[in-house]
Amino acid sequence: MATGLAAAAAARRRLLLLPRHLLRESHLSFSAAPAEGLDVGDGGGGGGRVKIFDRDLKRRHRDRAAWAMGETDALADAVADNLLDRLEDCRKAFPSALCLGGSAGAVRRLLRGRGGIEKLIMMDMSADMVRKWREMDNATDDGLETHFVVGDEEYLPIKESSQDTIISCLGLHWTNDLPGAMIQCRLALKPDGLFLAAILGGETLKELRIACTIAQMEREGGISPRMSPLAQVRDAGNLLTRAGFTLPGVDVDRYTVKYNSALELVEHLRAMGETNALFQRNPILKKDTALATAAIYQTMFGLEDGTVPATFQVIYMTGWKEHPSQQKAKRRGSATVSFSDLQKQFGSNQN
Amino acid sequence: MRRTAASLLRHSGIGGGGGGGIPEALADALVCPLSKKPLRYCESSGSLVSDAVGVSFPIDDGIPCLVPKDGKLLDHDQDKSEDCGAKDSSHRQ
Repeated sequence: MATGLAAAAAARRRLLLLPRHLLRESHLSFSAAPAEGLDVGDGGGGGGRVKIFDRDLKRRHRDRAAWAMGETDALADAVADNLLDRLEDCRKAFPSALCLGGSAGAVRRLLRGRGGIEKLIMMDMSADMVRKWREMDNATDDGLETHFVVGDEEYLPIKESSQDTIISCLGLHWTNDLPGAMIQCRLALKPDGLFLAAILGGETLKELRIACTIAQMEREGGISPRMSPLAQVRDAGNLLTRAGFTLPGVDVDRYTVKYNSALELVEHLRAMGETNALFQRNPILKKDTALATAAIYQTMFGLEDGTVPATFQVIYMTGWKEHPSQQKAKRRGSATVSFSDLQKQFGSNQN
Repeated sequence: MRRTAASLLRHSGIGGGGGGGIPEALADALVCPLSKKPLRYCESSGSLVSDAVGVSFPIDDGIPCLVPKDGKLLDHDQDKSEDCGAKDSSHRQ
């Protein structure tokens, strides 16, 4: 059963290591032989591609989330607000924006004219979710031109160099090929365009992870992966650089949400469409195990007031598409003056 | 009311000359998710066609659906006959 975990960890490592060459390969096949590109479309991914998440299942999760979610979600709102705050730090305006999956509804609601966005395209895998956003958009009246598309982040249907900014709020951690998805985002950005993303980090739901493991070992004598492998903070910087973004910035925020019981937490996860979509998942969850998990969660992490805390670690990533106007380091070894000469120069100036 | 008007507009195609069923501003930004080549609006089937890979993507309720799995492989003969009707729009793109 430890092998299951090890396999998941290995798969995650592969996710981080492989995709660049995979992506290049797929680009080649698209341009050279269009028919081959189709296989990817039919199978939802080529045969050799590393697949960790069941994207079809995630799509259904999000269909369900579209009707299960409340009007507002404190966690999603906090993350979206934090993310959008970054738009205000830029002096540049972003007339055309693309908003990807996850909590894009919260982004739309909290945008409030930030970043000078005039035209917004909202995209998600789930048609029901997109329809829900459209209803929401029709109810708000702030004169923002909003368009809706059903699309997959792994196959971004957006024209090259067409967007000023791409915002992804809590969606990209479900992509099988995160670097690939980010490279596609970079391609869709105009030069000097901004990529803003929030993904869940490895510390997320660590309490639930522990409770699930203990309960499963206790009741079933082994464990199955109940939790996604998530990116670590140190990976995030590498991801941005690998995807070719300039001036990468990563920061982390940790939110603790209190629930009345662990079951309520699961209910919330369901409403956010964040439930397990691993290919390796065990499709059966015994009631016995579920209740044991809740009990263990309560005893191990329960607070004095009877609530249980859940940690959400959110990694914020900022990157820019290359542009000549951006500051950058000079080529290594291109210096013409040595540091000791510099010091001498300054020394003589002062004297 | 606003919503009805919007969907009427969308269906009649007034708002979107270039994309037919979808607003032009959106149609301009969309490409085929597989080949990243331009899409062409096919009026007879009301879908977006990617000629590069021969796949048509449906437009459902004014929302284009560009998930590769939802695309339908085009039969080549059928493609030809549809092509004649929509040739102009493909050139415009």
